[in-house]
Amino acid sequence: VTLVPLYGFLEGDTLGLLVLARSSQSVEELATTLRRAARLRAGFDGPAEVTFAGRVLSPSSTVASAGLRPLDRIDVRRVRPCP
Amino acid sequence: LSHEPGGDWGDLARKLDWELRYVREEDAFPVEQSGRPWLPGEAWRDWEEPYRTSYPDYVEGQHRKEEAVRAVRDALGRVSDVEKLDRAWLSAVKLHTATFTLAEYAAVIGNLRAARFGRDAAWRSTALFGALDECRHTQIPLLIAHDLVRFDPQFDWTHRLFHSQCWVGVAARRLVDEMLLLADPVEMAVATNFVFETGFTNLQFVGLAALADGAGDHLFRRMATSIQTDEARHSQIGWPVLVKLVAHDKARAQYLVDKWMWRTWLFFSVVTGIAMDYLTPLAARTSSFREFVGEWVLDQFLPLVERAGLERPWYWSTLQESVAHYHHMVYASAYTYRSTVWFDMVVPGPEERRWLAAKYPESWPDYEPVWDRISERWREAGPGLELAVQGTAIVGFCHMCQLVLSGGTPRRNAAVTAEHGGERYIFCSEPCRWIFEQEPERYVGHRDLVKRVLAGEAPGNLLALLTRYCGLSRPVWGKDVRNGDYPWLRTPDEGAR
Repeated sequence: VTLVPLYGFLEGDTLGLLVLARSSQSVEELATTLRRAARLRAGFDGPAEVTFAGRVLSPSSTVASAGLRPLDRIDVRRVRPCP
Repeated sequence: LSHEPGGDWGDLARKLDWELRYVREEDAFPVEQSGRPWLPGEAWRDWEEPYRTSYPDYVEGQHRKEEAVRAVRDALGRVSDVEKLDRAWLSAVKLHTATFTLAEYAAVIGNLRAARFGRDAAWRSTALFGALDECRHTQIPLLIAHDLVRFDPQFDWTHRLFHSQCWVGVAARRLVDEMLLLADPVEMAVATNFVFETGFTNLQFVGLAALADGAGDHLFRRMATSIQTDEARHSQIGWPVLVKLVAHDKARAQYLVDKWMWRTWLFFSVVTGIAMDYLTPLAARTSSFREFVGEWVLDQFLPLVERAGLERPWYWSTLQESVAHYHHMVYASAYTYRSTVWFDMVVPGPEERRWLAAKYPESWPDYEPVWDRISERWREAGPGLELAVQGTAIVGFCHMCQLVLSGGTPRRNAAVTAEHGGERYIFCSEPCRWIFEQEPERYVGHRDLVKRVLAGEAPGNLLALLTRYCGLSRPVWGKDVRNGDYPWLRTPDEGAR
């Protein structure tokens, strides 16, 4: 297990934060970590999705299997209902 | 012979130049020191600026200005006078003095380089006056702030910021080092004299100075307007250099204006935007930061850029969005990390938020929920529990400007990444990435705070970072101006809205 520093951006927040993720950590846990770190300024009810390079990552994938590398940018956004 | 501007002696002195016989012109004015494009001296001989000041005029005028500032300082600069001022306004003063004072000192050096290596004698004369001006602009705020340190140790950061690893200091040094110490006289003339001084300093030294009067701080107003009279003179170096640059290398002229307009914009957005829209008492606000930007930058400065034959910056739409968002993004972020800076901050209350909503109708709704959450946290914690209303996660910084990653909007942060030489970089915005990509070798060596933490050079623990690395201490680091004790927070019915 290695630590993977990532730049995380929570929808509604005013700045990007550094998230120290474990390579074995799930994407869902990653989203929770960022939501907790930013909750003083931003947050939303309900499920979130993590996007990276324009694609939505599977919540059950890990940081390593999702192909996230140190200093990548990830976004955590509110899941919107399908139109 | 007359000393008056335009008089025989005045012009002879200002335009007195060397006839080089023992060295080549390229050796006396090497391109590395004099700047690109390198042109023969003959091409610069028609260089002129409108003030055409002689040394006797300069000394006499500066003496009068000094006496006027000193008289106001003697009358209004006592601790008892300062104690009467609004605490949030005092933070605007601390933000101003710490970010500008030693930058002005760096400008002494930049001007002295132009006073030696500028390509026309009149340019060199004006730059010499500019260097003397900037010495004065360093000394006045240092003198005023020094008197106040015993009243409030945060004023000590007027001198300390640029010597610290506080992120604002890192960002300010990054800008100032390149603009004033690294830039050759041509780039400095465009960056500093044209963009920074002609385009933007009015925001702080005229706009904020006018608000200072409303805040009851007549000493700040007098200091700032006195400084601006100097800026108005030596900023005139910028236009004739730009015109010459456009005539011989238009692409470089456009590049320099685009680059420095963005970097200057970020600086003023943080320093002036926050001071005007958050730290100035509501009753003293006559216009919003955006209205000042509209008047001074968009209506007055931008036509100058176009008159020089240049285009608006390519990131025009980004800039327009930024005018409505950037300082709001930075202030909300900085408020929740206020212990990382040397001045106190305030939560905008219901009246301030109504004012902001009226001034920023399309962007302010994005910030209401942010301040709702912060207010709610204060309500839960109660007054005085500073650390309960502070962020603890490590913040990301832009590799170019070294400011927090607060570009774009809360809905869509504008940060972008890039790779160069196997290294990864993050930027707050497309313009910052673009500046990096134009001259990566100039910027790759700088490490932001995150990279210093990851490299083990700076502690990852926030408290250790503040005290051991940034040089802040509990009496000095930023707190809420009212310790969270806002009347409108006391009962839910009188909540933030």
